[in-house]
Amino acid sequence: MSKPASLVNRREFIRQGAGIVAGAGAALALARVAKANAFAFDAEGFSKTDPKLIGYEEIKRFTSRQSEPRRLAVGPEQRLYVAGKNGVSIVDFEGGPAAEIGLASPARCIAVAADGTVYVGLRDHVEVFDRKGQRLAAWDSCGPKAWLTGLAVGENELYAANAGERVVVRYDRTGKVLGRIGQKSLERNVPGLIVPSPYLDVKLGRDGLLRVNNPGRHRVETYTTAGDLELSWGAPSAAIEGFCGCCNPVGLALLPDGRCITCEKGLPRVKVYSPEGKFESVIAGTESFPRNAKAGALNDKSDGVLGGLDAALDAEGRVYVLDLVAGEIRVMRRKA
Amino acid sequence: MCGGTLNARTRRRRFYLQRMSDPHPESGHGVNRRQFLRDGARMTGLAGLGGLLGLVASRSTAQGTVWQIDPQKCVRCGNCATHCVLEQSAVKCVHAYAICGYCQLCTGYFEPEPNDLNTGAENCHCPTAAIKRTYVEDPYYEYTIDERLCIGCAKCVEGCNRFGNGSLFLQVRHDRCLNCNECAISKVCAGDAFRRVPASQPYLLKTMSHA
Repeated sequence: MSKPASLVNRREFIRQGAGIVAGAGAALALARVAKANAFAFDAEGFSKTDPKLIGYEEIKRFTSRQSEPRRLAVGPEQRLYVAGKNGVSIVDFEGGPAAEIGLASPARCIAVAADGTVYVGLRDHVEVFDRKGQRLAAWDSCGPKAWLTGLAVGENELYAANAGERVVVRYDRTGKVLGRIGQKSLERNVPGLIVPSPYLDVKLGRDGLLRVNNPGRHRVETYTTAGDLELSWGAPSAAIEGFCGCCNPVGLALLPDGRCITCEKGLPRVKVYSPEGKFESVIAGTESFPRNAKAGALNDKSDGVLGGLDAALDAEGRVYVLDLVAGEIRVMRRKA
Repeated sequence: MCGGTLNARTRRRRFYLQRMSDPHPESGHGVNRRQFLRDGARMTGLAGLGGLLGLVASRSTAQGTVWQIDPQKCVRCGNCATHCVLEQSAVKCVHAYAICGYCQLCTGYFEPEPNDLNTGAENCHCPTAAIKRTYVEDPYYEYTIDERLCIGCAKCVEGCNRFGNGSLFLQVRHDRCLNCNECAISKVCAGDAFRRVPASQPYLLKTMSHA
C-alpha cells in the first residue's frame, strides 16, 4: 500500500508554522508598542549610573522608625537622629531603637551639638532638648512664613535654614538672632537664595565656613558665618556631573577634608564633589531608589513636599542616606 | 428551562380556568375575566409609571454629576490625549499658581537636558507648544497653559510632578466635555483617577495643602 499523497510535507509544515509564529510575535510586539505612552517623559537615559563612577557600596539598610522622615544627623555618641512626623527617633548604627523624642508637630530638621544637646527644627521655630530627650527650651517663632528645613550647630552658634523666607538664620546657643545669611544683596554681591520647594540645607565645615544649597540656581554656596559669599559652584544638568531638574541639590553633608556630599530629588542620587565643586564620585545612583524616582510630588503628604534624600556622615566615614519616600536608611561605605 | 416555563404556564392557565368555572371556591369572592383584565391593566399601568419615574430619577442623578480626574491618583499615562471621544481631548492641563516655584528651569516646560533655557522648540517638550513662558524677574518665570493647544498628554505634568512641586495637573474641562455616560478615557485610565463628582463642584483642584 503506497503512502497517500500529502498537500504539505513536513518541511513545508514546519516552515509555515514558524512563519505564523513569527508573524504573531511581531503583531503582539507592535500592539505593545502601540499601547505604550506616546507622550512619556523620557529621563531613562539619566537613570542609570556608570558603575565606574560609583565609589561606595551599601553595607546595611534599615527602615526608619519615624514615619515621614525628613532629615537625619549623627550625634557625638555615634547614634543616628531621624527627624520625622512624630518627633525624633534615636537609633544605633544597626537601626535598633535607643530613644524617642515625641513632638506634637512634625520635626523637619535636626542637629546635634558636640555636648549632646539636640536642636530640632519645627515648621517655624527651634526646640532644644538635652541628651536624655528633656525639653530645655522652645525658641521664638521665625515668623508666619518660616519653614525650617535644615540645621547646623557649631560650638557657640546654631544656623537654621529657613526655606519659607529663603534665608539662613544665625543664632547663638540661647536662641538670640545674630544675623541672616544668604539674602539678596548687591552691596555684598550675594545673588540670593532661590528655593522653589522646601529644601534648604546648611552645614558647618571644619574650616568654619557654611555650605548652603541654592536649589533654584543649582548651586552650593560657601559663606562665612558673617554672611559673606566666598565661593559657589554647580550647574544645572541631568547628567551625572550636574544638578538635575528644577531645583537641586536638596541636602548636603560634609566630609572632614571639606569635600561635599550632595543629595538630589527627581533623579534621586547622592554624589561627592571636591571642595571646589569638581564632581568626584557617586555614593548611590538613581537606580538605587526606584520608589523615590517614581514618586515625585505624587507621594501623599500632609503638609509639604515629601521626596528626595538626605545624608549624614559618622566618625568612621560611613555615609547614612535617608530615602524620604521609602522611609529607609542606607549605610554606605567607601569601596576598598 | 423551556419545559419548566411551559409547565408553569399550563398550571397558571388551569388555575384561572378553575377559578372561572368555580368563581366562589372558598371565600365566595372570585375574580371574573373582566375584573382580572381590569386589575391587570391597572397593575401594568402602575408598573409602567414606576418605571418611568425611576428612569427620570436616574437621568436626573446622572445629570447632577460630571466626570473629573483626581490629581492625586493620576499617573500621567497619556491616555487622556488619545481616548477622548472628542477630536481634541476635553482633558487639559491646569496650573495651580500658588504651588508653582516659578522656576527658571521648569521641568514641565523643558526637556530633561535642554540645550539652552530658551523657548526654542528643541528645548521644550510640550508636543503642541501649549505652554507660554514669561519672564517675571531674575530668576523667576511664569508658565501659562493655552487650552486651545493643550491636548492633555500630561508630559508637562510628569515633569513638574517628578522634579518640582506638582503645580501642573490634568482636569476635565466642562466647557467642552460631553459628559458621556461611560467616559471613554475612564475605561482605560491607568491610575483609576476618573470619578464622577457633583456638577455643582466640578473640579478637583490642587491647593497649598497638596504642595
